[in-house]
Amino acid sequence: MQPLANVTPLKPAARAGAIQIDRVGQVFKTSTQDVIALSDVSLDIKPGRFIVLVGPSGCGKSTLLMMLAGLRPQTSGTILINGAPIPKPDPDRVGVVFQEASLFPWLTAEENVEFPLALRGVAKAERRAKAEDALKLVGLDGFGKRHPHELSGGMKQRVSIARGLVQDPPVLLMDEPFAALDEQTRMTMGDELLRIWSATGKTVVFVTHSLTEAVYLADEVAVMSARPGRIVDHLQIPLPRPRTYEMLSGDAFGSLRDRIWRHIRKSA
Amino acid sequence: MADHLGLKIARLAIVVAVFAGWEALSRTGAVNPRLLPSASDTLATLGYLLQRASVRNDLLATASEVLAAFALAVPFGCLIGFLIAENRYFADVMKPLLFFAFSIPKSIFLPMFILVFGVGFAEKVGFGFFSTIFIVIMSTTTAVESVKMEYLTVARSYGATSAQTAFRVYLPSMLPVLLEALRISMIFNLTGVILAEMYASRDGIGHQIATWGENFQMKQLLAGVVMIAAIAMAFNETIRWVETRCSHWRT
Repeated sequence: MQPLANVTPLKPAARAGAIQIDRVGQVFKTSTQDVIALSDVSLDIKPGRFIVLVGPSGCGKSTLLMMLAGLRPQTSGTILINGAPIPKPDPDRVGVVFQEASLFPWLTAEENVEFPLALRGVAKAERRAKAEDALKLVGLDGFGKRHPHELSGGMKQRVSIARGLVQDPPVLLMDEPFAALDEQTRMTMGDELLRIWSATGKTVVFVTHSLTEAVYLADEVAVMSARPGRIVDHLQIPLPRPRTYEMLSGDAFGSLRDRIWRHIRKSA
Repeated sequence: MADHLGLKIARLAIVVAVFAGWEALSRTGAVNPRLLPSASDTLATLGYLLQRASVRNDLLATASEVLAAFALAVPFGCLIGFLIAENRYFADVMKPLLFFAFSIPKSIFLPMFILVFGVGFAEKVGFGFFSTIFIVIMSTTTAVESVKMEYLTVARSYGATSAQTAFRVYLPSMLPVLLEALRISMIFNLTGVILAEMYASRDGIGHQIATWGENFQMKQLLAGVVMIAAIAMAFNETIRWVETRCSHWRT
């Protein structure tokens, strides 16, 4: 990746990628009642950490991610990214990777990756160069001219990741990015993501349903429960890196996964 | 590729067979040639008619009416369709009403158009517009609804402005459906204008066809039919060609 030209300039570099979530709440108003989607959620995420949000459906983990992306305001509490609030989307600070269907099918892979740059009027040549770098980083060198329907599910998600990284934001948010993939592709993509993460040093916030994926990828796991959505446990994952397939069957891995499962079973 | 060629040959063979059968029926006297002039006579008449200034003026009149009606109905219909699709309340109120209106045969309103606009350009354009606008509205609504929420969320998360979202997400995403709508709208539009010309008009190719029919000029009548059919097919195929170029990603 090329060094980025335009990170939020006010913030000292040392804090790039830090996320502070402080007593955040979210209430949805419906015609009949107020639904508390998130209640008193606090997390302090250090720069460069890989954190996974896990929990049952309806626990508000995706809602929390949308708030971190500036796509939805919180009802109470504060969210700081690089030390500043995020009232609206800010692609300089935050890149977002969505589920599989989020690539534009009418654009080629490289045009999809260029999309965030095109929105800001970056010149064609510079755009193309950055997209090529990003595609190279995710292992898709030479696939830039293909359209999404000519790519496999895993390749599409690599393009999505490249699109999230193309502006070199310090934070990468990932909303169940591998949920639609088959088991084998999912494992491979997990390893790929860890490789990309260690090569770029991003802070990653990753939402998933899969406990195995959570433990395998994360430095720390925040376990959430539903009604209202809140954080019931915050685990450090002390497994060494690089993570390997063999760790999946180890005792340490199993007991971490069991601990998460017990929380989820209680609240589901 | 061989299959593809085979299909084309089969299609061509059917067209040739239709014309050959037509020719044979007329030449052998199986059908009275006064009722069904032969294909070769009809095509010769077509060539002769196209050289006549009055026929060319009729074609020009029809073309200008069709284009005027189309140029009014498409932007108007798109705008209304867009508003309906984007506004939940408006959609809930309007959609059933539009479906009711769409189901009514438009031709029964033609006498009213003649009373309101008189016989002439405005009547035919007005009726062409009226015949077209419902299908444009309904197709636009479908096109807007075909834009996935995910695409809009992606655009928003990368800071797209409303104009950027419109031109970089809505438009390309809707384009295949819109082009198809355009194509089908033109069929309705052409039908409306020709019908208005046949019913009450002083010029236009539809008017000529009606006159030829009334005067039992079968050669001219059939030549007119071939003429309009060819024009309609040419337009249809042009849009379809653009369609396939713009929607190769739709699989």
